[in-house]
Amino acid sequence: MPELATPPRAAPALAIEHLSYAYPGTSAPLTTDTGGNGALVLRDVSLTLAPGEFALLAGRSASGKTTLLRAACGLAPHFHGGEIAGRVEVAGVDAIAAGPGELAAVAGYVAQDPETQVVSTTVGAEIALPLEMRGDPPAARARAVEEVALALAIPHLLGRTVDTLSGGELQRVALAAALVTRPELVLLDEPTSQLDPVAGDELIWLLRRLNEEWGVTVLLAEHRLERCLAAADRVIAMSSGSVSFDGLPSDFLAWARTSDAALETPAARLFSLSGLEPLPTGVRHARRILSSTNPQLGRVAEGRRGLPRSGVDFSPADHPRTAAPSPGEKSSEQEAPPPLRQDPPAATVSSLWVELGEAQTRRDVLRGIDLTIARGERVALMGRNGAGKSTLLRTLAGLLDPVRGRAEAPAGIALLTQSPGDYLVRERVADELPGDAGRAALRAVGLEHVLEADPRDLSGGERQRLALAIALAGRTDGAELPGLVALDEPTRGMDRARKRELEELIEGLARRGAGVVVATHDVEFAAAFAGRVALLGDGEVIADGAAEEVLSGGWYFATEVARILDLPGVITPERGAAALSEGRG
Amino acid sequence: MRSPFAYAPRPGPLQAASPGAAVAYLGAFVAVAFLYSSPLVLAAAGAGAALAGRCAGASTAVRAALRMGLTLALLIVAVNALVVDRGETVLLRLGHLPLLGQVDVTAEALAAGATIGLRAAVAMVAFAVYSACVDPDRVLRALRPVARRSALTASLISRLVPVAAADAARLRDAARLRGPAAAPVGRAALARRLLTGSLDRAVDTAATLELRGYSLTSPDAARGGVLGRSDRVTHETARSPRRPPCVLAPLGLALVRRRSASRFDRRFYLAGMLALATATVGKLAGADGFHAYPTIELDPTPATLAVSALVVLVGLAPWRLPLGGRDA
Repeated sequence: MPELATPPRAAPALAIEHLSYAYPGTSAPLTTDTGGNGALVLRDVSLTLAPGEFALLAGRSASGKTTLLRAACGLAPHFHGGEIAGRVEVAGVDAIAAGPGELAAVAGYVAQDPETQVVSTTVGAEIALPLEMRGDPPAARARAVEEVALALAIPHLLGRTVDTLSGGELQRVALAAALVTRPELVLLDEPTSQLDPVAGDELIWLLRRLNEEWGVTVLLAEHRLERCLAAADRVIAMSSGSVSFDGLPSDFLAWARTSDAALETPAARLFSLSGLEPLPTGVRHARRILSSTNPQLGRVAEGRRGLPRSGVDFSPADHPRTAAPSPGEKSSEQEAPPPLRQDPPAATVSSLWVELGEAQTRRDVLRGIDLTIARGERVALMGRNGAGKSTLLRTLAGLLDPVRGRAEAPAGIALLTQSPGDYLVRERVADELPGDAGRAALRAVGLEHVLEADPRDLSGGERQRLALAIALAGRTDGAELPGLVALDEPTRGMDRARKRELEELIEGLARRGAGVVVATHDVEFAAAFAGRVALLGDGEVIADGAAEEVLSGGWYFATEVARILDLPGVITPERGAAALSEGRG
Repeated sequence: MRSPFAYAPRPGPLQAASPGAAVAYLGAFVAVAFLYSSPLVLAAAGAGAALAGRCAGASTAVRAALRMGLTLALLIVAVNALVVDRGETVLLRLGHLPLLGQVDVTAEALAAGATIGLRAAVAMVAFAVYSACVDPDRVLRALRPVARRSALTASLISRLVPVAAADAARLRDAARLRGPAAAPVGRAALARRLLTGSLDRAVDTAATLELRGYSLTSPDAARGGVLGRSDRVTHETARSPRRPPCVLAPLGLALVRRRSASRFDRRFYLAGMLALATATVGKLAGADGFHAYPTIELDPTPATLAVSALVVLVGLAPWRLPLGGRDA
């Protein structure tokens, strides 16, 4: 009887064994005991990804996620230098011996900032570049480019120059360039951090589809876990350069509850507070659990699917806005500073029209906006990429001139733009903020202890606070405080712990009488800090109201808890738990 | 804001032509400008380049180049008039000036300056058309097998110039947004910050190029079996259909049959060669009837007029005459 040939076992998509790494200049002796060595960014990391897995890389900022991805694609140590110990293999290729160029055939890498990930002039050329570098013939290149463009829904961009693309479009182009060689492993470093909720969700599900249909192994580093946990097969959590958890998403949530609450998703927190098990990995999972565990609870969530608001069976008394907060909940009504609605307001925008672009491509970015922000009010400005959020803030700050209407901040404005690094031009914090007024500004943001530090050595959160101190300098005391403090996308790349610090800072500013407006894509952050949400769409205000109303009334611009429960006004886990407890009663 | 000279993809023969054909065609106008001193021929070369730009849809670039070129020409005329004391027709006696000594402005120096300025303007217009119509990616890729490091540098520059311009605009905005007690940001500090930021950007862009496989041995060499520490990569490359072996193969070299980028290449090469041939023959036949010194001599012979007219016509030919061939 002829023997059946055993099919060759595929090499793991990624195999890492005892990997330790230190960036250059940190003089970390890798040959000695690595325990407790602060210079090591990765410490004795071991993990294996099987072909076709979709793994989520979780962890706080500076936990080693980015460095791990760099090691997997060969940038560390080949490009960044430094010392490395251990073994990294990508689809059977030794990543430490091979350079990133050679690994490009088997691994694609997409970094956080899409602007520095494009090197060609046109989109078509950018996507074709890796194929050209490895010598594919023109016909094969053309077909591969067409196919990847179709898969990522960007064929209409192929003829465009890269400098005309939005952040979301650039991110897709970078992903296309990483995928065009049909790599076995794709590594992504916070690819959704600059995307609005719509584009972010689309990207995650696109990755899932590529994973399922093309069999691409995905290793995705993300802070907004609620966005991608449901798509993942596995979660690897990192802490101080080591793997602290490696397992199924549902097990990860149980681990996060006890080990690192900053990694909990809102849905998991909702269930924890309600004493429900198992913890859900996503909205659909949560609804199923609610339906199956307790039909009465299930009705709270499931019974409302597809029903118009008027058809719900919740009486006004059940409206969560009037429900008592659960024990331990930080009620916004109790703790948040009330808006100071005396004149003058922090900002007045009336019939504002702003045009941007060159002569031929000039377009209306803001179209007849009306908005008033009171002193002490905390407002989240939301909307898709290109909706006009940044343009509105820049017009308020006087950086852009309206073509019609007006935008005023009568008591002054301090604007922190999307790149806090732009405010940091000197090599010593004390040189940025000299004198007593400078010290006062640093005190106001809790940075008085870093006077002698180089701004570049500060953490991301500290750099952001320093930039805010620079914008506020000389205006931090009492009546001098600007009437409006505006922050443009301040939570990019921030973990939940840093976002909590930012919330406290915003609360402090509002309490002292400043109106605070934050342009953000981060729905959960908006739910945590804002009393009011203004939603922009195509240059117009399409929704403006209490955060509980705006963030519970939709699908994309709604928190995870709102999407699970779909109860008017229920946007936070605490409110959700209270509503569920009432539903049980 | 986009530079008027930035490449913009649009359909058209010049955009579709290979970089070599575009250089041959537009370079012919520059060559004519440097061969001749006659203002008539110079004006014809400038008109040819400008019309070529207009036909190629690069009117914005042409207008911007004309503005800059004519400004530069005026500057050259002024400087030449001040520093050159040749010529017999004194228009103005400025007396003794510090550093320059005795300065007499002559009509001949003005005319000579205008010739140099016009030449510079023609070169600028031709370059503007090239910049707006020729895809830099194709140029860099054509250069890569020949001079990889130079092509890498050019890649970084071509990518970083617009990025640096955007960074500079953002830094200026951030400087305006500083609170009254923050240290003011002068131009020097801003420039220093921009430079360090650009270096960081360059590192990121270089990392991206690495990830795209830029450091791999060039594909042609790879086909000769030179590539690679990694068998896998060699395998990936080997999937491409190999070219037929050539006599140079034993030397590790491959005969590269270049793909003709476009059916328009031939007409641009032909137009460039015709313009150069016309100019050369005209020059030998004495069509360049202009001398600035000691007195201005402008002798527009029929040959000069013919060369001027032919340069303009040849410039228009790729768009007007059916000179093209079939797609390769």
